[in-house]
Amino acid sequence: MPGTSSDLIRLGPLDPFPSALPTHPLERRWLHYAFLSRDGSLGMVANLSWLGPDPTAPTEATRRMHILLLHQRGLGWRASQFNAQADEQPWSAFRLPNAFAAPQPFTLRAASDSPFVRYQMLRTSRPCTSQAAPFAGNQHLRWQSEPGVIARGDWGFDDQLIEQVESVGYHERVRGLWGWPEMGGWVFGFANDPTAHGDDPPPTALVFTLIQPPHPADATTGSVMLWRHGRMRRHFPRRCVEVAVRGLLDRDKITQVPELARLFGVAPMAPIPQRLVISARSGDDWVLLDFECETAARIVIPNETGIAPYSVHEVIGPCKIEGRCGSDSFAFSFYGIVEFAGGARAD
Amino acid sequence: MPIEHMSDLLVQTIDALARRTPAIVAAAAHQLGVVVITLHFGDQSHATLRAQHSRLLAVAQPAADATVECYFDERAMNLLFDLQRRPVDQVWERSLDVRGERDQVLAVWRTFQLLAQRAAGLRAVQDLWRTYRAANPERWGKLPSVAQPATTTIPALQQTRHTGWSALDYLDQRTPVQQESSALPTIGATVQIQDRLIWDGQNSDPWWNLADVIDADLMETLLACKRRVRQEIEHMIPDREPRARLYDLIRDYPAREGKGLRPTLTIATCCALGGRAEDSIRSAAAIELFHNGFLVHDDISDESTHRRGLQTLHEAHGIGLAVNTGDAMNLLAIDAVLANLPTLGLARTLGLIHDVVHMCRETLEGQAIELGWIRDQIVPELDEDYFEMSTKKTGWYTCISPCRMGAICAGETDPLRLDRFNEVFRLIGIAFQIQDDVLNLIGEEALYGKEPLGDLLEGKRTIMLIHLFRTVDGAAREHLYEIIKRPRSAKTQANAEEVLAAMKQYGSIEYAIQLADRLAHAGVARFEIDLADIPENEAKAVLRQIANYVTTRPL
Repeated sequence: MPGTSSDLIRLGPLDPFPSALPTHPLERRWLHYAFLSRDGSLGMVANLSWLGPDPTAPTEATRRMHILLLHQRGLGWRASQFNAQADEQPWSAFRLPNAFAAPQPFTLRAASDSPFVRYQMLRTSRPCTSQAAPFAGNQHLRWQSEPGVIARGDWGFDDQLIEQVESVGYHERVRGLWGWPEMGGWVFGFANDPTAHGDDPPPTALVFTLIQPPHPADATTGSVMLWRHGRMRRHFPRRCVEVAVRGLLDRDKITQVPELARLFGVAPMAPIPQRLVISARSGDDWVLLDFECETAARIVIPNETGIAPYSVHEVIGPCKIEGRCGSDSFAFSFYGIVEFAGGARAD
Repeated sequence: MPIEHMSDLLVQTIDALARRTPAIVAAAAHQLGVVVITLHFGDQSHATLRAQHSRLLAVAQPAADATVECYFDERAMNLLFDLQRRPVDQVWERSLDVRGERDQVLAVWRTFQLLAQRAAGLRAVQDLWRTYRAANPERWGKLPSVAQPATTTIPALQQTRHTGWSALDYLDQRTPVQQESSALPTIGATVQIQDRLIWDGQNSDPWWNLADVIDADLMETLLACKRRVRQEIEHMIPDREPRARLYDLIRDYPAREGKGLRPTLTIATCCALGGRAEDSIRSAAAIELFHNGFLVHDDISDESTHRRGLQTLHEAHGIGLAVNTGDAMNLLAIDAVLANLPTLGLARTLGLIHDVVHMCRETLEGQAIELGWIRDQIVPELDEDYFEMSTKKTGWYTCISPCRMGAICAGETDPLRLDRFNEVFRLIGIAFQIQDDVLNLIGEEALYGKEPLGDLLEGKRTIMLIHLFRTVDGAAREHLYEIIKRPRSAKTQANAEEVLAAMKQYGSIEYAIQLADRLAHAGVARFEIDLADIPENEAKAVLRQIANYVTTRPL
């Protein structure tokens, strides 16, 4: 009977992505996870990606590349190779049905079993509406984010087992078709106010995006999205947003992962900024994020299309957020995770 | 030294740039060419700026032969260097007046523009100007309103707007949360990079886009790298007996004041290719230990008495202990290379071992060639013979291998790509060695560190000696030959003075200076071609500064 919950969930694909397999070599599907423990001492970034078939390979199989990175303050980064093992159907907030207040398992481990995470995932917030960035003719990137995800469970870091860690983070699904030089680069990031109790959503959460394709000239897409108590309250579109950077992060604070990349002469990447400030204003509402890059992992992405190896920086650092939304003022200081990608050269 | 007048400020700024950023000075001197500028400042002081080869010479007095005259008001010097104030807030109509021939005025303009763009951000220059401004606030007129530190009572975006861009205003009013650790070698962070908007709501400036030219402060970098590598060597020396007869002696040479070129080349190359400075420290320490081990042995075979201003090791402790100490340094150096295994992995460590072996072989061959010349009482005829010997004896371990090993530390193990450093730093290395030899003859002892005319007493086959014997003939040649073939113990200071006088008479020193200049310029040109595919970053700028150091070094 129309209108029942079982009918509603059939309106779209049950999985985070369409069921049709990717066919183009540049077609990409990602599930992205980033978490910080409530005390900010542990950080986790994971990317589960499925790529279109390799044009030089005899079969048209989807390529799977999963990587897990863990960061412990004072001890640095540990990462799997690109063959991390995930669940058959990895948890995603975008997999239906997915009830609130019902924890679901999520496991990701390196092939060597270290590092690994073993979580129970819990949604507390609603996702933003899906965003899209078209560029370079037929290329595009679509994504949808959800902050305030709670991950409870164990972290395996070297020989240590850190049990029953509670962390709050961010989940995102991305799909599209793009080449790295055409896509240019991006600055993605989030911050959650960690002071919520129990299963409550963060009082404030912020997700920001800046995608900077070189062509066409007006292709840059940016936005700042603000959640209050689990619901997205403001979406500041690109014309309302300003992004400024200062200084350069010391190269010695950047760890190159995965370990295998150390065997190769990997082309240097542009140094990432030391500090990132994003401001957004719309009417009387405004928000400002001040992020200090503290440590970064440079993920070297293998050559896919003949370009030099490309890399993405996952950066953890303290951040301050303040702003106003409607009649509420808010401010908090915690750690955030920012992703800097860009500077691929088509040579 | 207090800076009273703007002319002093200019002179000190140029002096600081000559020591810290040879590449900027060389580029500015190239733009200035034959133009002589006299600058008249608002405080009634005057200065003259001119170029000589790749050097900029500034004096705090007007010149009679000036071809361009520049008049500044009190504050217009901001146009040149000061990043602390935005020029648009400082310059009034008629703040700056330049008079001269059109092409020469344009040359001056290009020089000033280059200095303003590339030197203004240097921390040392900024410090100099900050000091001057603090001491002479009245000359700066009314300062633009200084932003107050943000307080919690004023929300970030409700503060006074200065630039029109709230994110930039916010950054302007804040100092870094985190200070850089001074224990790390400083490759980078010697230049103040202005805050910039990468998105202003309409226009995008990719975050990975940096200014085309990033210049580094060579002096600060050399110092930081030298200190860090010395610290590493200190950690490597065992803390056990026999201290007085071995381990304390190992500390002796590395602790003496050197320029720190080798450690800096290694670390900077590693960083330029995307590696971490810390990954290259042990290799830099290994090269320093090899170098010092070679020096100890070299001083024995050359019968040198002084090294870096102090007694040589064998003079102070006897030949036996000195030979043993040199051996121990070489052993420690091998240990330092092998210690890279856990951090850099097998492939890079093997690459390093391969390069170290090659470097040692080249050095020993070069030493054999030179000692053979002296033993057989030969003065080679051609400069090329000297080039070959010099490259083998000092070029490899002073310039070429440090770069190659730094590149290996960053993961570059392709032999063809490593070879890109060879020709550039071969030319630079020869020029550097010739300049060192010239300094031994005409430099002050404190500056050079060896005993005066030590090379002549040792009978070292320098380019000056080769030129002299190529030029002089007849009885004078016989007489000079008779002097130089004597063993060192049979030579007197007067003999050395006599050879020096002949070198001056026959233009051998001037010839060597010119030759070094030509080689250095060829090296700098090759640098831009051969290393073009290394992306511009501050570490590459350090390498560029070192390449240019040879062209602007005061002789």
